[in-house]
Amino acid sequence: MQAVIMGCGRTGAALAARFDAEGDQVTILDPDDAAQRRLSTGFRGRFLTGNGVIPAILLAADIARAEAFVALTPNDSANIVAAKAARDTYRVPRVIARLHDPVHAEVYSKLGIVTVASVPATVNRIAQLLYHEALEPQHTFGNGETLLVRSAVPAYLAGRPVSEFDVPGEIRVAELSRAGHSSIPEPSTALQDGDALSFVVASGSLGRLKSFLGGKWS
Amino acid sequence: MRIIVIGGTGLPEQVAEALHQAGDEVTIIDTEPGRDPAPAKAGLRAVRGDPLVLTTLEAAGALRADVLVACTRTDEDNLVISYLAKKHYKIATVIARVNDPATEELFDQSWGVDALASPASALVSMIRHASVG
Repeated sequence: MQAVIMGCGRTGAALAARFDAEGDQVTILDPDDAAQRRLSTGFRGRFLTGNGVIPAILLAADIARAEAFVALTPNDSANIVAAKAARDTYRVPRVIARLHDPVHAEVYSKLGIVTVASVPATVNRIAQLLYHEALEPQHTFGNGETLLVRSAVPAYLAGRPVSEFDVPGEIRVAELSRAGHSSIPEPSTALQDGDALSFVVASGSLGRLKSFLGGKWS
Repeated sequence: MRIIVIGGTGLPEQVAEALHQAGDEVTIIDTEPGRDPAPAKAGLRAVRGDPLVLTTLEAAGALRADVLVACTRTDEDNLVISYLAKKHYKIATVIARVNDPATEELFDQSWGVDALASPASALVSMIRHASVG
């Protein structure tokens, strides 16, 4: 795969090393010539001095032949402009941009650009570790806004219907495990002692789910 | 006309003041934080904030503006602001400033730009014209 990375900061340099290790051909751009010192020794890709907002620079990076473009600068509007050009003008099939300041999330979404948001992802993960350690997620979606968590059903809830856990927009029961057998339960399915449930839950609603499960508030 | 001008000192302020004096209803989104808002002194409506946040644009009247001038010193900001103005707020006339001629080819309808103002290119063509004549 040919990949172009815009921004040779810590993340850009680490991603370039990763692509390189996977055997992909990487071109990494940065307006600051000194940024290439962050690239690991033995890096087989190409470093190009220049701003990816400028069409001539993207062309010099052979953008039209790239299969992936990743915009990682600390400037959200530069990431947006380059990502849109890569997608719409040069038809790069995979385009991902870093969302630097969360206040710009709405603008990225208006342009339909796929983002990785390090600030919300970090905040969600720290909050999860500090407040809801008992509910270790099986999987996190997006930037940690929703999670898949699994929990044993406390004995005192035996006989209650599964639907009691469902809160529109916050918590949804995804799966029921009973005696080694997994199924997608009906809302009316009655819980039994020894059951385990998987929930899809919004990160802000973990506390609510925990209180349903009888967990203590920390 | 209801006009929004976005930018700080210099060109944006001068444009806003001239339009205001000509009788247009002008709001400037001042993108230079931490200084005395000169536009307010001149009797202009001034809004502070990040123009890449929809609530800032709406506070400046984006929902009912006839013209928007994206006049910051950063070309990528001007492009994204123009896109929002045209595609999201459906503002009839969107004009953007080009700071670096190397980005000029981006300033077209795909970014919602109806007309561009490129001081460097304008000067260059003026020089060519004058030296030929």
